[in-house]
Amino acid sequence: MIEALKQWTERVLGRGDAAISVPVLDGALKSNRLIEDAEVVAELEAPEDLVSDGSALFVADGARVLRFDGTAAPTVAHTFERTLSALACLPGGGLAIALAGREVRVVGGPHDGRRFDAADGKQLNAINALTAIANGRLLASDGSQAHPPERWKYDVMELGRSGRLIEFNLADGSARERAAGLAYAFGVGAVADDAAWVCESWRHRVVQVGGAQAGRVAQTGGASSGRAVVDGLPGYPSRIAPAAGGGWWLTCFTLRTQLVEFVLREPAFRKRMLKEIDPRYWIAPALTSGNTYLEPMQGAHLKTMGVVKPWAPPRSYGLVIRLDAQGLIRYSLHSRFDGKHHGIVAAVERDGWLYLLAKGPRRLLRLSIAAAQASLAAS
Amino acid sequence: MSAVAPILALRKATKKYAGVPAIEDVDFDLLPGEVHAIVGENGAGKSTLTKVMAGVVNLTSGEMLVEGRSVNAQTPTEARELGIAMVFQETSLVPTMTVAQNLYLGQERFFNRLRGIYIAAQQFMQSLQFDVNPTAVVSKLGAAQKQMVEIARAVLHNAKVIIFDEPTASLTPEEKKYFFDLIANLKKRGVSVIFISHALEEALQVSDRITILRDGKHVVTDETRKFDRARIVQAMVGRDLSQTLYGQRKTSVRPQGKRVLSVQNLRMAAMVKNNSLSVFAGQITGVFGLVGSGRTETFKVVAGVAKRDFMHGGEVLLNGRPVRYFVPAAAVRDGIVYVTEERKIEGFFETQSIAGNIYLGLLAKLRGQRTLVSKSEAATVGERWIKRLNIRAISQDVKAIELSGGNQQKVVIAKSLVQEPELIIFDEPTRGVDVGAISEIHQLINRLADEGKAVVVISSYLPEVLSLSDRILVQRMGKVVEEFSALEATEEKIMYAAIH
Repeated sequence: MIEALKQWTERVLGRGDAAISVPVLDGALKSNRLIEDAEVVAELEAPEDLVSDGSALFVADGARVLRFDGTAAPTVAHTFERTLSALACLPGGGLAIALAGREVRVVGGPHDGRRFDAADGKQLNAINALTAIANGRLLASDGSQAHPPERWKYDVMELGRSGRLIEFNLADGSARERAAGLAYAFGVGAVADDAAWVCESWRHRVVQVGGAQAGRVAQTGGASSGRAVVDGLPGYPSRIAPAAGGGWWLTCFTLRTQLVEFVLREPAFRKRMLKEIDPRYWIAPALTSGNTYLEPMQGAHLKTMGVVKPWAPPRSYGLVIRLDAQGLIRYSLHSRFDGKHHGIVAAVERDGWLYLLAKGPRRLLRLSIAAAQASLAAS
Repeated sequence: MSAVAPILALRKATKKYAGVPAIEDVDFDLLPGEVHAIVGENGAGKSTLTKVMAGVVNLTSGEMLVEGRSVNAQTPTEARELGIAMVFQETSLVPTMTVAQNLYLGQERFFNRLRGIYIAAQQFMQSLQFDVNPTAVVSKLGAAQKQMVEIARAVLHNAKVIIFDEPTASLTPEEKKYFFDLIANLKKRGVSVIFISHALEEALQVSDRITILRDGKHVVTDETRKFDRARIVQAMVGRDLSQTLYGQRKTSVRPQGKRVLSVQNLRMAAMVKNNSLSVFAGQITGVFGLVGSGRTETFKVVAGVAKRDFMHGGEVLLNGRPVRYFVPAAAVRDGIVYVTEERKIEGFFETQSIAGNIYLGLLAKLRGQRTLVSKSEAATVGERWIKRLNIRAISQDVKAIELSGGNQQKVVIAKSLVQEPELIIFDEPTRGVDVGAISEIHQLINRLADEGKAVVVISSYLPEVLSLSDRILVQRMGKVVEEFSALEATEEKIMYAAIH
């Protein structure tokens, strides 16, 4: 009763959870054009994930796995019957792949042919990231129990809280749930003490599950196991990848805006929008924008004298954040609203280059890390 | 110039407070139609000297001459009758009256028509290019606007000598330009101007002659063209400080630590409009903006001194936790302190001793944990902070009001630092503070950031912002509009962002 009264008061006064505010891009998150100016390595059909085994890059592109080994054209390493939703290189050789979010399969290596389609009795539904850990195990983020990966927009609009972190044992074929109730688990990285960092996209944070400092962080509207290591992000985090020299590359597939935050607090409006409007034109986060006049934000909101304002509230955006080992933001790379390299969903560092998968324009990009750091130091 | 008879002169002027001389054997000449700058460290005796001229205090010994005639102005009214008016550092306006009423205070007729004085005041303010509404109540005005009214009142009284005590301290660069034009106009009309300022560039820019005082004694008077900044500073402090103060550009900035403060879409009436910013540990975040840009108001909300909009006022997150303070004490307990720009009104209890003031700061932090006030603890705490901040006073029992501006500011800072804050907000930390103390306060601010504290410095003085800050936020019309790293920032870039 008291909680209901509190929620009602907050809603009327625009406070607490009803405060429609978004974190600002300042300090280490100050905007730049480094992603926009990145070199285009390849144009792809339906990119989903990007990994490296140390010598080559692998891209999940539709139902294919493409291999980039430095030569001009990529080669098709594998083709599957369904679209891929996640990819991981295994330390003993071979790949782990997720098919349509509902099945995890091992291809090549000592565990070739191993398949998983459930964990703790629940069907896998939206596996969107995989990472290999010690002792022949594999961690996976299962975004939502309610919607498959391609319907992620429905999950954000329904304030989904059914994401899971799952651990697969490749040796014995067992699978167990390590965390549940996550607000869209999207991206997982292994840290020491058997702990893992998991991105919770709809709560705009990265949480640590397991390990010595793990705790339990209660949230309104559900609870999730874990301690927030990166909180209050200005965007929706997607995958997380280790950086050379320690720390992480965290990608955000778009930025939060006050308009979307407002819609997320208006259940009746959302319900009607979901029922009556084409998902492409929802007031919701997007991987690409500016393609049609039917999009919800138009006119002077976005342009002045015919020129797109880079600082306009974006539907889509490109953002990669460099974190240190403690989760502190060191610097960030951007493609602003007037750019095209939006919807960054994966990053891999290799030989001093940072490779990025931009799902919006369907491109594989790369930029020199040293040049980016020099550019940031000068600005 | 010396062939011209002075309009105002002091001979062997001495003023003692309880036997201690504030000024001693000072000779001073003011020539007709000249702008004469008086500079010196806090406590050098500038204010006392000018207060003698304005009839606010009386000489213990010595003589004052107006147009060659020995006079004895016992009160400001008598001085005004002699043609001497003073614009004080702290405004002497009546806060509950309107601007126009203040302008014409003491000149009222038997029957007054408000509309008449409003029209006259409007025209007069416009002639001075001061953008102040004559019908506004003075208590609602900002510091700069109060200063403008104060200046306008002196000009209105047709004084032959106008004394300005720190007139530009609260003015924006644009307003300063108007003010300097006003001084040029007064000069053309044959009015003599005495100008006290800690901003030495201003003294060099506007004055014809400069007098330097040190420790209550006259050091030198000479034509301005014979001075440069280094010579003035050396004469003021007896040592060369010019290289340590604003002398060097930053070549590196501190790396930012965790985000201590996040202000998101903050709103406060018409002053703060959807403002967002962050403050990080281990860094000095400089905040620049013209008067009225909402800098002070934003951070007053953060520190619980002011309240954001009741509905949809945005969020303030301290270490990721949403906070809303209704009183500063709650913010203090959470580790936020705000060092006010109005130290004499909000900063300390002027009749309390140094130690008493500092101890009160500690008690605010420990509310509920102390049932009895310990005098010995107050003495210990006071002594520790007097030593740490190098507060110059005969003893810790000296009342705060008796200290110079720089030392008063150190007391205000000590009162805040004793609370062991995590986030320290300095609002105009060196306003009305002499150069020696400025250097010490800057060193202290840098030390706090080096210790890992999150430090915010709000300042209207660009060289100060540039020399102190690791990152600079520029605020305009109620929100942050630009951010610069200290390495890329220049005065031009910052000013452009603040105005356009």
